Amino acid sequence: MLSLNINGQPHQVDVDPDTPLLWVLRDVLGMNATKFGCGIAQCGACTVHMNGRAVRACNLPVGLIGEQPISTLEGVDPTDPVVKAVQAAWIALDVVQCGYCQPGQIMAAIALLRTAPHPTDEQIDSALSANLCRCGTYMRIRAAVHHAAGALA
Amino acid sequence: MRNLMHISSFLSGMPRALCGALVGGVIGAATMFVPAPHAHATPLPPNVENGRYLTRAADCEVCHTAEGGTPYAGGRAFSLPGIGVMYAPNITPDKTAGIGAWTDEQFVSAVRKGVSPHGKRLYPAMPYPAYARMSDKDVRDIRAYLATLPPSSQKTPANTIHFPFSIRSLMVFWNMLNGPAASYADDPAQSAEWNRGRYLVEGPGHCGDCHTPRTRTFGLDSSRALGGNIINGWRAYNLTSDRQSGLGAWSDAELAQYLSTGHADGHGTATGDMADVVGHSLRYLSAQDIHAMVVYLRSIPPLHTAEDMLEGTTPPAGDAALPQNTRGARLYASTCAGCHMADGTGRQSSFATITGARSLGADNGRNLVQVLVQGSGMQTATGVQIMPHFVGGGLSDRDLADIASFVMTHFTTATPHNMEQAVQDAKRAN
Repeated sequence: MLSLNINGQPHQVDVDPDTPLLWVLRDVLGMNATKFGCGIAQCGACTVHMNGRAVRACNLPVGLIGEQPISTLEGVDPTDPVVKAVQAAWIALDVVQCGYCQPGQIMAAIALLRTAPHPTDEQIDSALSANLCRCGTYMRIRAAVHHAAGALA
Repeated sequence: MRNLMHISSFLSGMPRALCGALVGGVIGAATMFVPAPHAHATPLPPNVENGRYLTRAADCEVCHTAEGGTPYAGGRAFSLPGIGVMYAPNITPDKTAGIGAWTDEQFVSAVRKGVSPHGKRLYPAMPYPAYARMSDKDVRDIRAYLATLPPSSQKTPANTIHFPFSIRSLMVFWNMLNGPAASYADDPAQSAEWNRGRYLVEGPGHCGDCHTPRTRTFGLDSSRALGGNIINGWRAYNLTSDRQSGLGAWSDAELAQYLSTGHADGHGTATGDMADVVGHSLRYLSAQDIHAMVVYLRSIPPLHTAEDMLEGTTPPAGDAALPQNTRGARLYASTCAGCHMADGTGRQSSFATITGARSLGADNGRNLVQVLVQGSGMQTATGVQIMPHFVGGGLSDRDLADIASFVMTHFTTATPHNMEQAVQDAKRAN
């Protein structure tokens, strides 16, 4: 039995320590907000936070996590100022097209804004360029991050 | 005692159980008459736990297991350019396919002298010149541990060695030039830790087999011991105490962490064959033994080698902006930053922290290119850590070359040259 702290709740899971976190989230715990994209940390669709840092759940063995807190899109606090700003910006600029990559994009954007509340274009590109979007909404994502940063002023 | 050895070789033709009982009886009788000061010379009963430990310290499993195969059942191919292909034999206790029918003396002779039963000479892909540093007692313990494994009837494929290397008896001359050393007596001028470290590094660890350059007769060049070498296309780095090209600038704690886990921040992660060495061998060694190896490695006189030089520069920590003005930088951002971040720190595990790693720049990025082309995986206490290879995933040779050039110039002060050629060479050799 492994003990995981996910979205502030303790979870006991009976899995091999090699199991990727994404499998545990989706198949064991039924938390489906985090998406499977490529499975090799190349696309960012499965981005969650570990200790507040954006990580890829698909190649993060649960045995490596220990007591570090994990948060997923289900668990973000809608009253948190950064979360509120990101949600408002995403709606205002109608960022989403098909939406499959967006849980990962949003988690990456929240992690970025927590460390750099007013990021430059270069910082946004660096932090989010490993989150792929097949619909090509990159320009709207970048604009929405600036929009959210403006709301955080 | 000499008589005892004769008796035991005479007995070797008898069934093992009977032989064991007789030898045991003779030893028991002998012990009673041996004066106390010489009592240590009496063979001790085998210590299976010590054998298991040393089997790991000697990393027997990695070579004697085919990829994905039964552990110790042999079959791993070793391709030696110009010489041929040889296969590591089955060393499980199966009586016909394995070594179950061997006597302990035959086993000791194979491991320490390179002579298998019936006088067949082993090729030095088996590092018997290093294992000769082990004591008979330790080798017998290894045998005792191997005898506890489940027997496998897997047959070892026949070697395809070209003439004249196919004449095994010629190994006699090779052994005269490069042959097995004796086990060494402890050096009383050095600490117990140093002596234990030397035993582990030079004996079971056989570090020099990869890290020491070879002479024209393929023997280890003792004048450049542990001075770095190229093996299977990878650079096995200089382990001497030189500050710029060896381990002189590493702290004891960093070195111990690297040996026992395969990673030390500021020095990167073990890849290639070294990842296997850590994953199957070094990580099982006790903290005292790892410390002893560090003590010994510290005492290797510095030898400067240009190929192992790395003057690293490290970009600022955190989600720093990545320059996106070159193809390599853009490819790094989309292909590598998912795990290695813009600043080279591991996104979710320190095993992916690459800053300071010698592989990033030394020897024109040789190991960097190797890991891009071949990938690397390492068994750790928290699961297998994988770096996938990037061949055939829509990236051209030029893309890989541009990524390598960017990594070399962004994270180190190295000057890449002919990287596309380096990528093609690595792909051809793989």
